[in-house]
Amino acid sequence: MSALQVKDVTVTRGAGAVIRDVAFSLEPGRITALVGPNGAGKTSLLEAISGVIPAASGSVHIGDTEVTKHSRVARAKLGLAHIEQGRAVFPGLTVMENLKLTARTWPRVEEVLALFPELDKRRNSPTALLSGGEQQMVVLARAFAARPKFLLIDEMSLGLAPVVFTRLLPMVTRFAEEGAAILLVEQFTHLALGVSQDAIVVSSGKVTYQGSAQDLLNSPETLHSAYLGE
Amino acid sequence: MLQGALAGLAAGGLYAVLAVCLTLMSRLVRVVNFSQSATGMFGCYVAVWLSIHIGLPTWAAAVVGIVLGSALSALLGWIISTWLAEADIGTRSAVTVAVLLLLISLSFILFGNKPQPFHPLLPGPAFSVNGVVVSQVTVVTVVLSVLIALGCRALLTKTSFGLELRALSERPTTAELMGIPAKPLAVAVWAATGLLSTLVITIVAPSQSNDATSLSMLVVPASAAALLGGFRRLDLAVVGGLVLGMAQGAVAQVDSLSVVRYFLPFLVIVGLLLWSQRKEVWDVAR
Repeated sequence: MSALQVKDVTVTRGAGAVIRDVAFSLEPGRITALVGPNGAGKTSLLEAISGVIPAASGSVHIGDTEVTKHSRVARAKLGLAHIEQGRAVFPGLTVMENLKLTARTWPRVEEVLALFPELDKRRNSPTALLSGGEQQMVVLARAFAARPKFLLIDEMSLGLAPVVFTRLLPMVTRFAEEGAAILLVEQFTHLALGVSQDAIVVSSGKVTYQGSAQDLLNSPETLHSAYLGE
Repeated sequence: MLQGALAGLAAGGLYAVLAVCLTLMSRLVRVVNFSQSATGMFGCYVAVWLSIHIGLPTWAAAVVGIVLGSALSALLGWIISTWLAEADIGTRSAVTVAVLLLLISLSFILFGNKPQPFHPLLPGPAFSVNGVVVSQVTVVTVVLSVLIALGCRALLTKTSFGLELRALSERPTTAELMGIPAKPLAVAVWAATGLLSTLVITIVAPSQSNDATSLSMLVVPASAAALLGGFRRLDLAVVGGLVLGMAQGAVAQVDSLSVVRYFLPFLVIVGLLLWSQRKEVWDVAR
């Protein structure tokens, strides 16, 4: 499986740049933690990669294909999935209907539901009636069902109790083991670094650390200075 | 009065179909389409022109008009999906007001301001009950409104196409990120509702006021019917359309009240809006 490459991407919002000349690649089977303080530009970077907002300069490549000018739909068809911040469920659809949107086949829906027994019990409930944790499971399960090659996950833990989040993290790891390349943006830095092989720290729109997640985890000083951009 | 109510059923069926179209547009593509009946009117007018000036058979001209109405609607949908994809429902709906006015003006310029000499597609009575005659137009429009509502419901709940449309209506950006093509689906909804509107106006126009303004303003009673279902429920939109048509027909039979029929849709709209806001009013009062 080929990589997703981000080459010197700059993203602007209003008059100013929120991300400046960021470059990295996501490799199959590896999880990359993208961490940094609030307002560092992490969400904007993910949105530029998936096409929610345009990149002001630089380029995004999926395998050999440059997708910088491609629509969101075209990028999704090339194997890119983006789990947005918040709980991006379709509240009027049932759990099954949410999964059918990406799974396409019944065996795949059943396969994914087997991974999430909590959802299996509530398969015909509208997702609006589920708890926050269950809704986030639906979002994750829906992404898994599509078998994307590249998965961008933005603040999966937002509004969830840490115990619920730690229940979801092994699913992300399992998905990477199946060969997907994952970019994980997370406020629980230590938990994210704990499941990741690679790490990128952004601060004020610039990359201040790029390397091993384990090294960053073992070196609180490095993490601290990377957060502060020193 | 019964005769009047039954006579009003034809208009009721027309309101019901238009209300179903308005409900679909509001639910699926986030637009209150004020040009819903105007595109239908324009398609019908072109059909009449083709029939009279080119000599096309009535049915062939009607088919061309229906296709044109659908194409006009699809074009408007394409424009809104391309340039106003991220705009709010108010802005998107405002554009359709401009199109409504444009189509009325254009029809005055191209066809004059007189009613058109429509040839009825469905002439004559279908049957009579206790001396009350029910026309073919009435039967067809009522049956059509129910079938369209049932068909749309089945499409939305039983097919993957409908599932994608519902997803798109709830979270367009999320749906696109999953690979659901927003623009083609939205344009398909516009085209389908344009086709249905033109079809039903083509059937009913010969038997009622058919000047450009009257046909374009059918969107008002249709909105009243759609409002009964909160622009969400297709079944209530159909019921609203049929009841409103029958009520107008019945009121028209009473000399002292006949003028009220013109205001009835507005009264229904105001009444439903006030009713829908009652909780907020009571909350403020507390």
